[in-house]
Amino acid sequence: MTTATLEAPSESEIKPDELRGQVEALSRSKGEPDWLVAFRLASLEQALGMNWWTGQEESWRRTPRERLPRRARVGRVAGGSNGTPVSVPSHVFAPDAHAGMVHQIDGRVAASDLADQARAQGVIIKPLSAAAREHPGLIQEWLGSVGPPSDRYDAFGRALWTQGVFVYAPPGAVIDESLFYLITQDVEQGDHWHYTLVVAERESQLSLIDGGDADDRRAELGEAPLIHASVELIAEAGANLQFASVQRWHRQTAAISTTRGRVGRDATIRVTTAAFGADLDKQRIDMDMSQNGGYADIRGLFVGDGKQHIEHVTRQHHKGVGATSDLLIRGVLTDESQAVQYGLIRIEPEGQKTSAHQTMRNLLLDDGAGADPIPMLEIEADDVKCSHAAAVGPVDPDQLFYLQARGIPPKTAERMVVRGFLAEIADGVPDEHMRDVIDQLVEIQLEPARSSS
Amino acid sequence: MTTPLFEIDALQVAVEDKQIVNGLSLTLQPGEVHAIMGPNGSGKSTLANSLMGHPRYTINGGDIRLEGESVVELAPDERARLGLFLAFQYPTDIPGVSMINFLRRAMSARRGEEIPVREFRQVLNEVLGRLQMDEQFVRRYVNDGFSGGEKKRAEILQLGLLEPRVAVMDETDSGLDIDALRIVSEGINAFHSDHNAILLITHYQRILRYVQPDHVHVLIDGRIVESGDAGLAERLERDGYEPFMARTKEEVMAS
Repeated sequence: MTTATLEAPSESEIKPDELRGQVEALSRSKGEPDWLVAFRLASLEQALGMNWWTGQEESWRRTPRERLPRRARVGRVAGGSNGTPVSVPSHVFAPDAHAGMVHQIDGRVAASDLADQARAQGVIIKPLSAAAREHPGLIQEWLGSVGPPSDRYDAFGRALWTQGVFVYAPPGAVIDESLFYLITQDVEQGDHWHYTLVVAERESQLSLIDGGDADDRRAELGEAPLIHASVELIAEAGANLQFASVQRWHRQTAAISTTRGRVGRDATIRVTTAAFGADLDKQRIDMDMSQNGGYADIRGLFVGDGKQHIEHVTRQHHKGVGATSDLLIRGVLTDESQAVQYGLIRIEPEGQKTSAHQTMRNLLLDDGAGADPIPMLEIEADDVKCSHAAAVGPVDPDQLFYLQARGIPPKTAERMVVRGFLAEIADGVPDEHMRDVIDQLVEIQLEPARSSS
Repeated sequence: MTTPLFEIDALQVAVEDKQIVNGLSLTLQPGEVHAIMGPNGSGKSTLANSLMGHPRYTINGGDIRLEGESVVELAPDERARLGLFLAFQYPTDIPGVSMINFLRRAMSARRGEEIPVREFRQVLNEVLGRLQMDEQFVRRYVNDGFSGGEKKRAEILQLGLLEPRVAVMDETDSGLDIDALRIVSEGINAFHSDHNAILLITHYQRILRYVQPDHVHVLIDGRIVESGDAGLAERLERDGYEPFMARTKEEVMAS
């Protein structure tokens, strides 16, 4: 499969005054309260004061930065931005059963619902602008509360978002089925900025599935679109928050995301991300483990083809006593695709009895594919358990031989091993339908590359 | 004279430039059980794996024929579809791939067409019952986290489902306790018929108490140095491999 080659995007001129005006106009057009206009403008000032990167940062050094658009444009917002449903193509990730859903295309709300059981418990899933009007206290309390922006994209993301969602479970609320936030990428629209805010109050339980898909994956685009997502996950004491992100953007897209979780005392956050499509996919996932006894589970899976670059930059930051975090990334790389995993476990002096682990495994199916997993440990406490493992290699020939010895042809055998390899990650996704979708996407993603070789 | 079911003809096998099997010949007729017995390092596993076509083993002389047709140039999956089977000494675990999915694909491959779900279920339950295995077993990943005994039973399960013409059993008895050995042996006997043949490769004589061999061969340094009936296995049990090894050494010295 070929990837359209693009001119390296250059720094687009950023005109601060123009941007300030546009951000304010955007916020007003969405009917947002004054404090949210102010939040956007403050974030914009932060972004304007930052550099994209110096190139020396560990988190940027291995990124093919010439393939990243360095620009901050306010996206167009079509009609219906106030929550009026508009008709959009059906979504590949559309769930069968769900507790609630928001589906947005390009800032417009296509569908929104919430099951009675969830509503009765006070659960909220709403477009972020609407939530700011209807639940100002909650949004003001939590928006941006996980920490400062992690880089310039993230800072711009807080100012420029045209679509976003707020998901909230009050204390003690327990929702069995998953909530869905679906986004359809309008490829003609260009850049997209998303903001996702998820709050699980103490002793509550919720699971959110964030599915992104492009409306036309075959379109030849003159300019590579940028998709940015800022995700904030907050689990208060004893809460259980699951977040799964499955993205299949247009092939020319540069997809950048920052996912930040704050794990409360004895709380759990599980994050699973599955990356398909996109030309460059860079995910930053930070877990703040500053409370005692928390648990964080970060899982990433991907299938790369063509000249895709897929990058995970993760941080398990322990300050609490007796907290546990696990990182598990598995990817399959075909053609000339490349992967980078830079994973940091940092344990502060007070983070005693921490248990923190990292595993990164990359399967290379073609000679041109490559992967660079880099697990890092910075440990300042003395009573901790840490482990890290990183692997890059071909499919185990003994596994292939075993399947072949039972009559299964080599290509099928390879496919089975690869799907099995990724299944362990997909198993972490709380919704069965979504697990099936992931399995199908793995199959689709492997198909063109493998059948031609 | 009819064509033998399986022939190993002056076979030579090397692993990474080291010659392991040195001109081994053996003929299996339909309905026969042959046992190849040998000490550690005599080439037992090399023989087993090369018969199935493991890429790590290079056949650099001789031939392997299934029903008169050479299979040396065929890939492992092609050999399997023709009816050759290897019960692995160390079955490979494949996490993420369920037994049930694997078994169904393997059966469909062997038949050359997709096996209907109902029929698959029926045959599967029958063979599972015969091996005293729980139905939940097939929900697990292939060999993943299996005990030694479970792995060997899973191999026999596959033997029963795939119904090969020739089954090569590589140290199937190793690591089994006495009850598991009996169940596994019963599984082999249930499979055995006038239409197929079994080649048991083993270090010890104990499995031969349950699976009666028609012929026993002693393997030393990649060659068969003696062949006989079941009595030969008893002799080995009593005297060990030492007398045969000493003899081989003398022959080498003399040549």
